[in-house]
Amino acid sequence: MLKKTNFRIIVAVTVLSLIGLIMVFSTANLHTLTRQAIWLIIAITAAIVLSRTPPRFWSNIAPAIYIGAIVLLFILLFTHGSYPKRWFTVGTVAIQPSEFAKFATVIFLASYLAARKRMKQFSDLMVPFAIVAIPGILIFLEPDLGSAQIFFPILLLMLYWAGMPATKLFLFFSPLVSAAASFIIYIWVAYFIGLTVFLYFNKQLNDFIYGIVGNVLAGLVMPLVWNLLKPYQQERITTFFSPWVDPRGMAWQAIQSKIAIGSGGIIGKGFLSGTQKKLEFLPLRHTDFVFSCLGEEFGLIGIILTTLVFTYLFYELLLLARTTKNRFASIMVAGILAWLGYQTFVNIGITLGLVPITGVPLPFISYGGSSLIACYMAIGVCLAVSRSKFKY
Amino acid sequence: MDENIKKFKFLRNIIIGAAIVIIIASVKLQVIEGKKYSRLSEKNRIRQRYITAPRGKIFDRNGIEIANTRPGFYVSVIQSMIDETTLESISKILDIDKKAARDKFKLEKNPFMPVKIAHDISYRQLSIIEENIDNLKGIEVGVEPLRNYPYGKLLSHFLGYVGELTHREIERLKDYSINDYIGRMGIEEYNENQLKGKSGIEFIEVDARGKEISKITEKRPIPVVNGHDIYTTIDVVLTESVAVYLEKYKRAACVCLDPKNGEILVLYSKPGFDPNVFVHGLQKREWEILNKTPDAPMYNRALMSCYPCGSIFKPFVALAALDADMITPEKTFKTCTGKYRLGRRIFKCWKKHGKLALRDAIIHSCDVYFYQLGRYIGIDTIASSISKLGFGECTGIDLPGEKKGCLPDRKYFEKKYGKNWTTGHIFNLSIGQGDLLATPLQMARAYTVFANDGKIVMPHVVIIDDHIYHTTDISQAAIAIIKEMLAGVVASGTGRLAHLDDYVVSGKTGTVQNPHGEDHAIFIGYGPGNAPDILVCLVVENAGHGGSVAAPVVGKIIRAFLNSTKLTHYAEEN
Repeated sequence: MLKKTNFRIIVAVTVLSLIGLIMVFSTANLHTLTRQAIWLIIAITAAIVLSRTPPRFWSNIAPAIYIGAIVLLFILLFTHGSYPKRWFTVGTVAIQPSEFAKFATVIFLASYLAARKRMKQFSDLMVPFAIVAIPGILIFLEPDLGSAQIFFPILLLMLYWAGMPATKLFLFFSPLVSAAASFIIYIWVAYFIGLTVFLYFNKQLNDFIYGIVGNVLAGLVMPLVWNLLKPYQQERITTFFSPWVDPRGMAWQAIQSKIAIGSGGIIGKGFLSGTQKKLEFLPLRHTDFVFSCLGEEFGLIGIILTTLVFTYLFYELLLLARTTKNRFASIMVAGILAWLGYQTFVNIGITLGLVPITGVPLPFISYGGSSLIACYMAIGVCLAVSRSKFKY
Repeated sequence: MDENIKKFKFLRNIIIGAAIVIIIASVKLQVIEGKKYSRLSEKNRIRQRYITAPRGKIFDRNGIEIANTRPGFYVSVIQSMIDETTLESISKILDIDKKAARDKFKLEKNPFMPVKIAHDISYRQLSIIEENIDNLKGIEVGVEPLRNYPYGKLLSHFLGYVGELTHREIERLKDYSINDYIGRMGIEEYNENQLKGKSGIEFIEVDARGKEISKITEKRPIPVVNGHDIYTTIDVVLTESVAVYLEKYKRAACVCLDPKNGEILVLYSKPGFDPNVFVHGLQKREWEILNKTPDAPMYNRALMSCYPCGSIFKPFVALAALDADMITPEKTFKTCTGKYRLGRRIFKCWKKHGKLALRDAIIHSCDVYFYQLGRYIGIDTIASSISKLGFGECTGIDLPGEKKGCLPDRKYFEKKYGKNWTTGHIFNLSIGQGDLLATPLQMARAYTVFANDGKIVMPHVVIIDDHIYHTTDISQAAIAIIKEMLAGVVASGTGRLAHLDDYVVSGKTGTVQNPHGEDHAIFIGYGPGNAPDILVCLVVENAGHGGSVAAPVVGKIIRAFLNSTKLTHYAEEN
């Protein structure tokens, strides 16, 4: 049995976890390191247990764990006293159900998509859309825009992997693009001309009608509704959606993050020698901004190495998704890839100032039990798939 | 399988592309711009600066600024940098309580965010701080827009003021920072969302003395959004005249509105307070003085004080009777001998009027006539008819804190006095005394039913396009009869002192008996003529008779208003 285990994935994850422990120690203290180590042991145990389960088992209990996750999110949202409602607190431990909701949603969506061979119609999109929208909206209401946004790339990639043509996917979500573009008329016109040309050469009447009607409606309704609102109502909405809503001073951390990484130079300032992190990163330096400390202390070399390990891990996951003959397992691994990959890119992108700031942990490296365990559970399931991939 | 390989290649390229983007971005930061960031990281030379959004201006109906902003110097503290001795010396310079300052900046969770601990400091304090800035680590001085009220006391109740947030508000209100102000009372509170704008943050590089060298990024990471301006219906010049006419009285309330559309021209309450002092953050002692003086200067009498209406209520009783077709204007009752005996109680009138019909009863404000009229038509007719005029409910004005007063009906009396409530209560109600209570604003609105031929308006202070009317079903004929009588009050009755030579003014006097002292004088008047442009309700507390105290002032106010509009027309025509 053992020889069939995918050691490449294990090695990559182990290296990332070690980097994580080093950075948690560097950015926090021994106490935090101990806690993280305990979380890591729990996470590895969970991964080992999950890696022994057959994928069929997951496909069978998928609805149950999905419903369980939704119920947890509901309980959190409606019983918890004050905002933000992101954690269940048990003693000194805070559990974040949204991390496990990602896991449950990926598995359930995979089991749904696996049962459907043909994914050509728009109507095929409705149920998958609902499956991710329910936990996504619940988490958005917590409010946790950072975790909620992950569900969108998960949906896109899993649909794509399940056989939905990319053009259909684009077309389905194009009214959203239209609504966003409608604020600047020139951009919208340019977008719409491009879309029309695309639809013409696409040569599908149904697509054409949906594309034109959907986009025109979205493009018209959005500015109309917007203009009906009072200025202060508009302001409230932009405030709600803007990434600058950060009571924890994230904008300040973002500029400090760029300074930390930039001042690291090529070889870095050395382990435990970062100056920026000691002064300026509170309280997120060991969670959302751990990568900037890595960039400061280990420089460009550290960043390139870490990035390569992540890239290697994701490539292995992609390979696994391709070579697995079981449709459910394949789609599930693709979903896990979307989840971990997107989260990694967004987290690193924030620290480098490439994307707007939202709270997203870096898989395997950021401090935090829920995130670590959920990521390891996902890896455990992937290992289970790799062990049994030739058995069907 | 072919399809699968295509998808695999596509996703593989995305993964590799993302890795390349990350590495390129890192090279840009660490290699190309590395020197700049090393310099910035060396000596902790970056500060964030809180940029207060300028609050929206408030204008009067003629475009005069009645609230604007002025620059002022503030002192702020960066928690992560300040030490005990610095805090000690800065609180000495600023003459503030050290503990209060610490409590304040502890409220900010981000230890690198400067927290303003003093606003509007003097030049003397500024120069002392600037001289010692090298020893004051973690202290910053800057300029911010401060709220300014050019008319001070005059518009204090109407405008309200801005003050610092309380500890509880900081926790409750998500989009406020400890560095912000919040509007309290009046326009400032009611229109807080439009006025406040959105404060921003910028990052600057500073030298060793804390002076700005450059901005880190050209674009502010959190941009400032200026507050929106508010255009009100208030006439500040007329308000000034009102204040001058009321100079010799201690406590008064005055509401002037345009009866055609409900626009409030004057909303004046005396005594007032200076809203400018709140900008500094009030000391506890000052706050107590403002709140505990018996004259209650913070109290907006025009829409918070509930007064008995007194005789200004009589026309409504007459209107109820005429509208219900229970009497004609020729109706007479028992002769007024200066008093009326009901069982063992004696109800007085202020004068021996003799025998009179409705018109003279209103013009000369005869209590005895109205005792009998009230009893004749009964409580239900009075209550049902007069509730249409908005007594006992809020007017819906766009200002906070309005009181709704009290309009007693049968249920009310039964609840309060049991089954045995007596005709005496109706007697009192008929002359506007007893349980009936209304704010000056409510009285003014109720009188628009005469000025506006049956419609009552919704009073408002911010200019709107669609005025809201409440159409009553009171008969036009009855209204016309009362209107003629109200003109008679000023022409030859108790309101003679409100008379103007060149305009027809109508109105009604009221004198409210007050167990605590001198009577309150009330006069409600409108003019000119039958389609008036202004309606004035004036209550002067403890000043005496409505006819002798309030009426002449209202006459002057109406004259001042009409003269100013005449001037405007003249200016427009030429």
